Amino acid sequence: MATQAKAKLVAIVDDDELMRGALQGLLKAVGLPSRAFASAEEFLKSGQQHQTACLIADIRMPGMSGLELQAQLNAEHCRIPTIFITAHGDTKMRLQALRAGAVEFMAKPFDDEVLLENVRAALDS
Amino acid sequence: MAGEEAVGPPRNRSRMKALSKVRRYGLAMISCGIALAAAWPIDAPASCFLLAVTLSSLFGGLGPGLLSVGLSAIGFGYFFLGRTVPPAVEPAVFLRFAVFLIASSLITGVMEIKRRVEQSRNRAEEALRQAQSDLAHVSRVTTMGELTASLAHEVNQPIAAAVTDANTCLRWLNRDHPDVEEARAAALRIVKDATRAAEIISRTRLLFKKGTPQWELVDINEIIREMVALMRSEVTRHSISVRTELAEDVPQLTGDRVQLQQVLMNLMINAIDAMKDGDGTRELAVKSQRAENEQLMVSISDTGVGLPPQQADQIFNAFFTTKPHGTGMGLRISRSIIESHGGRLWAADNSPRGASFHLTLPVEAEAHE
Repeated sequence: MATQAKAKLVAIVDDDELMRGALQGLLKAVGLPSRAFASAEEFLKSGQQHQTACLIADIRMPGMSGLELQAQLNAEHCRIPTIFITAHGDTKMRLQALRAGAVEFMAKPFDDEVLLENVRAALDS
Repeated sequence: MAGEEAVGPPRNRSRMKALSKVRRYGLAMISCGIALAAAWPIDAPASCFLLAVTLSSLFGGLGPGLLSVGLSAIGFGYFFLGRTVPPAVEPAVFLRFAVFLIASSLITGVMEIKRRVEQSRNRAEEALRQAQSDLAHVSRVTTMGELTASLAHEVNQPIAAAVTDANTCLRWLNRDHPDVEEARAAALRIVKDATRAAEIISRTRLLFKKGTPQWELVDINEIIREMVALMRSEVTRHSISVRTELAEDVPQLTGDRVQLQQVLMNLMINAIDAMKDGDGTRELAVKSQRAENEQLMVSISDTGVGLPPQQADQIFNAFFTTKPHGTGMGLRISRSIIESHGGRLWAADNSPRGASFHLTLPVEAEAHE
């Protein structure tokens, strides 16, 4: 499991517990290992960012936002394919995220097929 | 310096009117009788009668005033001009009588005009109170309207989770060998998601940190005055008097005006609710003052039922309420607003009875989410 996770680990960063549970459950159902973090700070502190093959993150979170997390990872030269899921994403925010290297920018509630396609694409890249 | 302002309870007008009518006409007759008795041995009858007319008009109005003019005229003519009819024996005496009549009628007239002006002012004040009450209602509805946007967002979150969990559940069931245990776990998550969504809707929960606050320089005294004015009809309706003590040296702070208004409105509505069914003095006191460490403090005290005993620390918890139709979110929201402004909100017992809510706000608050 550990070696497998090292290669294909999906990290979930969302302050909402229900959302974390739902995303982990979905990934488990398609056989993808995942780890969930309640905040961007927790994710950065865990040191898991270097083993993460795909990141699913919320934009608006208490403390560091999803976009700030993306910028921080970019600054650390840790380019993880990132999928943002947010409840209130405007066009400007979307463009900013995509320009900074986000794979996709999805609004809640999202289509699980589309999400999984994006995750698989990120893992294969 | 502290500026003070008091709003008194409204009087029971119709009952007072009927009682005072009798009293006022009685006053006119009694004052004329006294004037007559006082003037009898003295040779300055006119001034005494004028006093009687003045008093009757002042306290009685037009009718009693005219009655006392008439009584005075009869008394004056009968007892002082002699019983000669016609009394025009001496022109000087007749002139004196005429001047007396004119003077006393003038007094009554002037008093009546004064009374009418006051009456129309009272009517204008009544209309103003009505307008304020309407405004308070509209403002409350608007606050609810503003809640809707946040509410929609908060409900969207568990619904999104529920949709994902439901899809996951189907994935486990649609396998060639369905995994019932995993499907059950996903179904349990759906129950949790839906319960949360329903809770949010029924309690109109609001998380202000995810709103879009408008940060600007605000004067807390101005906000307090606005809210006291808005709540004026509400407090008068429940015979509550409002006392404001606003320190003039309180500096401005950076904050969201609408949110701070809402906190004050929540705290004042709580204070009114705590007092409206009790007996004794009903006083709502709002104070502002400068506090230590570049902070200002606002205190809202009532003489109501006080904090719930043994539960005083729970009143700020979400969904905690002592009201039959309370949402249990008012104090929770108020505290989160004050904390998002970098301040603190707490409750204490008021002496000799009731509750006090105190909040501090930094006068140089940083704008943050």
